[in-house]
Amino acid sequence: MNFDANTIIYFLEIVVGGLLVGIGVHFVPVGGAPAAMAQATGIGTGTVQLAAGSGLTGLLSAGLMMSVTDNIWPILATGAVGAMIMMDATMLTGSWIYAYAVGAPFASAKVNYDPITKFSQPPYVAPGTVGQGIPTVCYVSGTIGAAMGGIGGAMIYYPLMQINGNPAMSAVFAIGIFMVDAVLASWNIQGTIEGFHDPKFKKWPKAFKACLVATVILGIVAVLITPLSGGA
Amino acid sequence: MAEKVKGFKLEPKQLRIYGLVGSVVGIYLAAFLNMATGTNIFAFVGALAALFGVVMGANAVRRVCAYGIGTGVPSIGMLSLGMGVVAVLFGLSIAEQLGIGILGAIIALVYSLIFGYVVGLIANRVMGFNIPVMEEGLTDLSGAGTLAILGWCFAISGSLSYEAIVTDVFNTGFLAIIFICGGLAILHPFNANLGPDEKQDRTLVNGVMVGGMSTIATGVCALMTLGLAAGMVEIVVGFAVWYYFYVWYFRLAKRDASAVVGTGLLPPSAL
Repeated sequence: MNFDANTIIYFLEIVVGGLLVGIGVHFVPVGGAPAAMAQATGIGTGTVQLAAGSGLTGLLSAGLMMSVTDNIWPILATGAVGAMIMMDATMLTGSWIYAYAVGAPFASAKVNYDPITKFSQPPYVAPGTVGQGIPTVCYVSGTIGAAMGGIGGAMIYYPLMQINGNPAMSAVFAIGIFMVDAVLASWNIQGTIEGFHDPKFKKWPKAFKACLVATVILGIVAVLITPLSGGA
Repeated sequence: MAEKVKGFKLEPKQLRIYGLVGSVVGIYLAAFLNMATGTNIFAFVGALAALFGVVMGANAVRRVCAYGIGTGVPSIGMLSLGMGVVAVLFGLSIAEQLGIGILGAIIALVYSLIFGYVVGLIANRVMGFNIPVMEEGLTDLSGAGTLAILGWCFAISGSLSYEAIVTDVFNTGFLAIIFICGGLAILHPFNANLGPDEKQDRTLVNGVMVGGMSTIATGVCALMTLGLAAGMVEIVVGFAVWYYFYVWYFRLAKRDASAVVGTGLLPPSAL
């Protein structure tokens, strides 16, 4: 463990990465179990699964880029793109099922007009539900969220790799930090959110504070871990 | 149901002491036995020690989630394992650096308990959960995640040294199996049994049952890292634990059910 200016930079990178993950979760249209039954807007699974899925894909693609270069920018970009592809593929295939198998029109119950397409929403919301499917605004929001999650994951992974040089250990540690921040953020939105147009999105400063405290505690121990003596 | 089934009711404090002491003592006992005999056949003791932690964690899950956290039970299990994996890596690494490798498990546990308490505090104060047992529950959960990972890591590596665990568990990728199987053992019991008639004994017995299955999984991994003998012992022990607690769980489920009817797929004697 040698402490120098780089250690502080690594520490800050981990904290920023954790915060990006925490905020990114707020953008992802998570519908939970109701969405799986087409009774709520969003993707039909929980926040943790979605955050973990996009984060791990981001981590994988960042790791792949890291085997080629040491420059942080392409690594972050690859992480973001990997996570975005994963999230978009999930939303796209999910949309096919909602459209062609369930037969539900896509509508958001939280806004009267889709902020992007300006289409009217209330006439299409089935009575007794809180919207169905993944409308355009949710799709765009989800893509932004995935990009933030991917950058966050890569930003945690990169400094860890610089510190301990062991891909397996760095990945596991990054997943640990990722899980903590994603769960804290998903508690903040209490399970479901539609995206940046949802009123619940305004609660993000709470998640910011929570993730800041948690990631600082995790980041301090992350920079203390050393590589194997044999130089793994 | 006329059949009398063994049940139990334990206080959270009691369970916490059983979980922490049982698990730590078990892990060190396993490490000591392996060192003293010069074999790795006692790796299964580490897997059994993890079960104590799992029971403590499963109880914490049922206490916290009974209030309703809005995101489903799996999230809290993943949080527990996420905190655990960070704590284990940190504890083992820092102990190695300070030259007190044998205390790694204790350092990991202490760090995880503190971190769990802080996360609980954040959840209540910042997020406004207002769940009275949140701090306590997350402290238990974080500790349980750490002990589960530590115990099953030992079951695969056969040693508590940082280097052995990193080479045998992390670099091989077996940690992913521990992560999910351990998470299942902690989060699944309440997820499967929740509802108005959720009973502590049924939930916890289910937890040990899933823990037995996780032990089988780590045994299969240990076949590769520790060799045939240690791996097979672990698989057999895991199977025994699973079978015993499966039968017990089945009886408890019948005790709590209003009626049990067969579908015809199983012979009537199996019910």
